[in-house]
Amino acid sequence: MRETIKLNMNEVPYLPPREVIKAAQKGLAKLNRYADPEDLGRLRGLLADYSGVPEEHVVLSPGSDILLREVIHTFSKGRKVIIVSPSFFSTVQAAKQFATKLVSLRLSPPEFDFDLNLLMDELQEPCLVIIDNPNNPTGKILLDRQAVEAIIESTDTLLVVDEAYYEFSGVTFADMVHDHPNLAVTRTMDKAFSLAGARIGYVIAGEAFRDTFSSFYAFLPQPSLYAAIEALNHPDYVRRNVQRVVEERERVWRTLNELAVHVCQSTTNFLVVNTEIPDIVKRLRDIGILILDLSNQLPSGFVRVSIGTGEENDAFIAGYMKIRAAYLNGMQMNAGFRG
Amino acid sequence: MKNVVGLIVNPVAGMGGSVGLKGTDGETYKKALELGAQPVTPKRTKDCLSRIERKDDITLFVAPGKMGEEYAEAFDTPFTVIGAVGEETSAEDTKRIAAEMVSRGVGLLIFVGGDGTARDIYDAIDSQVPVVAVPSGVKIFSSVFAVSARAAAEMVDAFVEGTDVTEEEVLDIDEEAFREDRLASRLYGYLLVPNVRSFLQPGKAASNVSISSVESKKEIAAYIVEEIDRETLYLLGPGTTLEAIAAEMEVPKTLLGIDAVFGGELVGTDLNEKGILGLLERYDERKIIVTPIGGNGFIFGRGSKQFTPEVIRQVGRENIVVVGTRDKVGRLDCLRVDTGDFELDELLCGYMEVVVGYKEGMMVKVRC
Repeated sequence: MRETIKLNMNEVPYLPPREVIKAAQKGLAKLNRYADPEDLGRLRGLLADYSGVPEEHVVLSPGSDILLREVIHTFSKGRKVIIVSPSFFSTVQAAKQFATKLVSLRLSPPEFDFDLNLLMDELQEPCLVIIDNPNNPTGKILLDRQAVEAIIESTDTLLVVDEAYYEFSGVTFADMVHDHPNLAVTRTMDKAFSLAGARIGYVIAGEAFRDTFSSFYAFLPQPSLYAAIEALNHPDYVRRNVQRVVEERERVWRTLNELAVHVCQSTTNFLVVNTEIPDIVKRLRDIGILILDLSNQLPSGFVRVSIGTGEENDAFIAGYMKIRAAYLNGMQMNAGFRG
Repeated sequence: MKNVVGLIVNPVAGMGGSVGLKGTDGETYKKALELGAQPVTPKRTKDCLSRIERKDDITLFVAPGKMGEEYAEAFDTPFTVIGAVGEETSAEDTKRIAAEMVSRGVGLLIFVGGDGTARDIYDAIDSQVPVVAVPSGVKIFSSVFAVSARAAAEMVDAFVEGTDVTEEEVLDIDEEAFREDRLASRLYGYLLVPNVRSFLQPGKAASNVSISSVESKKEIAAYIVEEIDRETLYLLGPGTTLEAIAAEMEVPKTLLGIDAVFGGELVGTDLNEKGILGLLERYDERKIIVTPIGGNGFIFGRGSKQFTPEVIRQVGRENIVVVGTRDKVGRLDCLRVDTGDFELDELLCGYMEVVVGYKEGMMVKVRC
C-alpha cells in the first residue's frame, strides 16, 4: 500500500543530512540527563551568528508557537492585541485565550491585501501587534521595512513578527531588533532546516521583551539540541532545501495555473488553492493525500497545500485533476447542457 | 452571430421590503401597495441594462410591458417582445414567457427579481440555458444571484465573450413562515450562470447552531449591552445574533424583523421604513445594529430592506454597529452592501469593525 502523502503541515519533505541525524542519535545516548547549559549556550551563539544579531537577543524554546503564546500571555495585559485574520492557528488561539481586547485585521480574498493605514489607525492606545510575515496560510509578505518602522515608532506599541518561513521568503527584520527595543522576531528550525520533529524555536527579542524572557529558560530535548547544533554547522543544506522547495513550488503553481486552478502565489513552502470542489480535503484523503482545510478561517473552498517532493507534488496534481474532472463531469451530466 | 438574450422582470419583486412585508409572493404585493410601497425593479433593471457594454453582440427578446418591454429602451438597441400579459402579472406569466423565450432560441436569460422569481424561472427552464439573475427581491438568499445590478451587467458581457457556465443554487424561504419569524429554507434546484465567481453572491449558509456559536453570540450580546447608552435609540436588525442581544437587553425580538429599543424599553416592533423614519424624528442619538447574512456577507440590501437608503443615511455610517460570530465572519470574503443607491453603497465601502466576541473585533472590508 502506498504511504500517505503529507502535504498538510508545511513540513519540508527532505531529511536533514546524515551528520545531523547522527548528532540526534548522539543526543539519545544522554536521555537520562537534562540538556547541558553549555550546549544550550552553543546553540544560542550559533543561532545568533546565523541571524546576524548579538547573542543576548536570542531566546530558545521547544517550538516557536510556545514563544508566541508566552509573548501574548505576558504582554497582552493592559494592551489591545492586534493580529491579522487569517493567521497562524496557534497565534489566533493564544490571542483569543489571553487578550482582554482583541482586534483582527481581515485579509480579504482574493488579494489578501494588508492595509497598513488600517493598522496605524488602531495604534492609538497601548498595543501588542503580532503579524506572521510571510502570512500563514496565504503565503503573502505583509510587511516591508518601512511598514515595520512605522509600526514600531508608534507610541507604546510592541511588534512581534513571526518569521517561521523566513528562509523561503528571504525577508527579515531581525537586524532591526538591536535598535528597536519594542520589536521581536520569532523563528523556527522546523521548516527550512528539515527539523520539524526536533521542535527548535527561537525569538530574537528587543530590549522591551528581554526582561521577561531572561527567566524563560528552556531545557531542550537532548536529541533536538544536538541535531540543531550540527545543522547550524552545515547550513549549506538549508540553502539547497530552500532552492529545491522554491523550484517545486513554482512548478506546482505554474502547472495548476495552466490547468485553470485558482492558486495564489506564495513566498513560503505552501500554496493556497481556491477550489470549486466540495469536500476536496476528504476526497484527496481517500486516495492517501493529506492537505489542510482552511474553512475555519476563510470562506469554503480554500485549502492549503504544502510543497512536497517532486513525486508527491505530481501525485497531488494528478489526484486533484482526476477528482476535478469527475466532479465537472458529474455537474455536466446533471445539467445536461452544452453537450 | 449575435447572442440571443432574453429579459424577464418581476415587476412586484422587492416591493415588500421597505414596508416590512418580507416578500411579495402570492397576493402579498397588494398589501405592499396599500402600505405605500414603490416598485424597485425599474431602477435595478435599468441599472443592469444600461451597463451592458457588448450591446452590439446581442439580440434582445423582452417580456411585454412592465415585465421587460418598458425598460428595453435603456438597452439602446432593437428588441423583440415575446408573449402577452394582462394588467396584473403573475408567476405563471414569468414561467410561460421564460419557456417561450427558450423555445425561440434565447441563449441567455436575464431575470430581475428575488428568490421567488428564481424558483419560477427554474420551474420553467431548468438548466436548458444559463441565466443572469439581477437581485431585486426582499429575500435573496440564493447563490444564483449576482451581487448587484452592475455585477449582473458584467456577467452578461462575460457570457457574450464566451465564459463557461456553472451551476448555482436556487433556495427559497417559506414566506408564510418568514412573516411568522420562522426561518424555513430549502434547496429548490439549480440554475446555470456564467462562471464569474466574484460577481456571484455566495448562498446563505445555514445558521451555525453549535454550542460555541451559541456561546459566541452570548459573548457578543454581553459586550454590546455593556456598551449600551441609555440615551440612544437602537435599531436591531434581523438574525439570531440580534436575538441574543435583545435577550441580554431583556426585550422581545422578532427574528426577521427590525425592532427598536430605547432606555432599555422596546419602542418599536417589526418596523417598516415609515416606522423607522418616525422614530428617527423623535430620537437624536441612534444606532443600527446588524449582522451579516452568513455565507454572502450582506449587511444591507438583502433580508432587511426596511433599512432603506434614507434610513441608513439618516443614521450615518459611524452609527452602524456590525456584529457576528467569529466563525461566521471568518468564513466571509468581505461584508457586502447593495442598497440600490450606488452613492450610499460607496460611502459604506471601506473597513468596518465587526464585534465578534467580548471586547473582540475584526476589521473587515465592505464591498459593493
